[in-house]
Amino acid sequence: MAETSNASSAIDVAEQEALKASTFRRLHPKVYLERFVAEKVRPDGRELDEWRDVSVNVGSISTADGSALVRLGDTTIVCGVKAEIAEPELDRPNEGFLVPNIDLPALCSPKFKPGPPTEEAQVLSDRLNDVLLASGIISRISLCIEPGKSVWVLYIDAICLNYDGNAFDAALLAMVAALRNTRLPKAAYNEETGRTTCSRRSLLPLQVNKLPISSSFGVFDSTHVLADPTTFEEPLLDTTFSVIMNEDGKLVSVLQLGLGLVGQPGTLDRCIAAAKAHSSDIRNLVYDTSNTS
Amino acid sequence: MHDRALINVEVNIVPFSTGERRKRSRGDKRILELGSTIKSTFEPVVQTSLYPRSEIDIFVHVLQQDGGLLQASINASTLALISAGIPLHDFVCAVTGGVHSTAPMLDLTTLEENDIPHVTVAVMPKTKKVTLVTMETRLHVDRFGDIFKLACEAGQVIHKEMKRAVSERTQKLVTAMEMGPRVVPSADVGDRDAMIDDLNDY
Repeated sequence: MAETSNASSAIDVAEQEALKASTFRRLHPKVYLERFVAEKVRPDGRELDEWRDVSVNVGSISTADGSALVRLGDTTIVCGVKAEIAEPELDRPNEGFLVPNIDLPALCSPKFKPGPPTEEAQVLSDRLNDVLLASGIISRISLCIEPGKSVWVLYIDAICLNYDGNAFDAALLAMVAALRNTRLPKAAYNEETGRTTCSRRSLLPLQVNKLPISSSFGVFDSTHVLADPTTFEEPLLDTTFSVIMNEDGKLVSVLQLGLGLVGQPGTLDRCIAAAKAHSSDIRNLVYDTSNTS
Repeated sequence: MHDRALINVEVNIVPFSTGERRKRSRGDKRILELGSTIKSTFEPVVQTSLYPRSEIDIFVHVLQQDGGLLQASINASTLALISAGIPLHDFVCAVTGGVHSTAPMLDLTTLEENDIPHVTVAVMPKTKKVTLVTMETRLHVDRFGDIFKLACEAGQVIHKEMKRAVSERTQKLVTAMEMGPRVVPSADVGDRDAMIDDLNDY
């Protein structure tokens, strides 16, 4: 009897400790994170500059012309590419269109309520659009079928299934992987009928010139730089950096929102160096650069 | 509602799910109808009186479709509710059935759905009660009885598969609970067997 009561009291103590820790985390998240960062570690056990595991699965959605599923830790994004034919703009008669869009539905996190797209989703869509255009991932001229008459429009739709922070990195990775997986039918424009016909048989893979990869960081307490923030850390960060690099080591885009580190110049340089190392790791892991698909 | 929970179902069909890209707006009547059909299917099944003054949200996201959308949504919602730990009276297993001349067919693809009359049936396998029957095409009344019975039997088969999946997941969770730090006092041997017995009852 005495033994069982000792065992149950040991369990009670352990249960109380865990309850105290999770209550503290809910009530004082900033102090909770401070205590971890002081020991140079984060609540999920990572080092301050460590990245979460990435896994990518392409081609799983057969109704789409190209698709990819990316998991960055627990953040899960599915992206599908559909191609349609449209008339080009009058002042750009031989350029096609790229229309990226990301949706953060209520399903992926209790942060998002059901209803029209939140501001966060719209901002993310806009940033992804800017980056995809700036990186030159696909030459818009290569999407032309017949100058002035018909061009390809690529709709790149991404949807977040589980949100655990850093949706931007995951979404960019998903979109680039989906584009790389896309195959378009051979199209021919008929002068007489004014219609474009697509071959049912022959599919050509899309010409993807660059592989931009994004690395995001956040600054906590104006002193510590955390790589790849989770959804718990994100609201506690005062500054965020995103560095996007191509495979030739060229910077595509750098975004800083916030004041940065106080009293420490060169933070941005360190972030860029870390981003360079990280993006080449991801590139080797995800894109088999030895064979061209 | 002061004495029971509200069930809210939202269906989102992504543009690349069908052969033709079509951006369905949230207010699309077909999608709203799909959502309200799923809601009325689950209202008698979920024990809503245990959660007064609350709302249970079911979000269905369709990533790829090739027929049987309602059936797949109902089956997925059942498993999602079970995985969330929400008490249900029973599983809900749905299947589509159709008749091509006189030959009955089950689980139709898009091409088949466009061509032959079909009906979707959702059954509660243990009690053998039917919580949903919908048909939007014209079917001869003599054929209806046969295909309805066949669909109910198919529901039993699906139930077996669902039970197997839920049982596997529960085993994994229980093993994980035992291996981790002993925080929850109910994770000792007696309750573990009780948990698995409860599952076998269904």
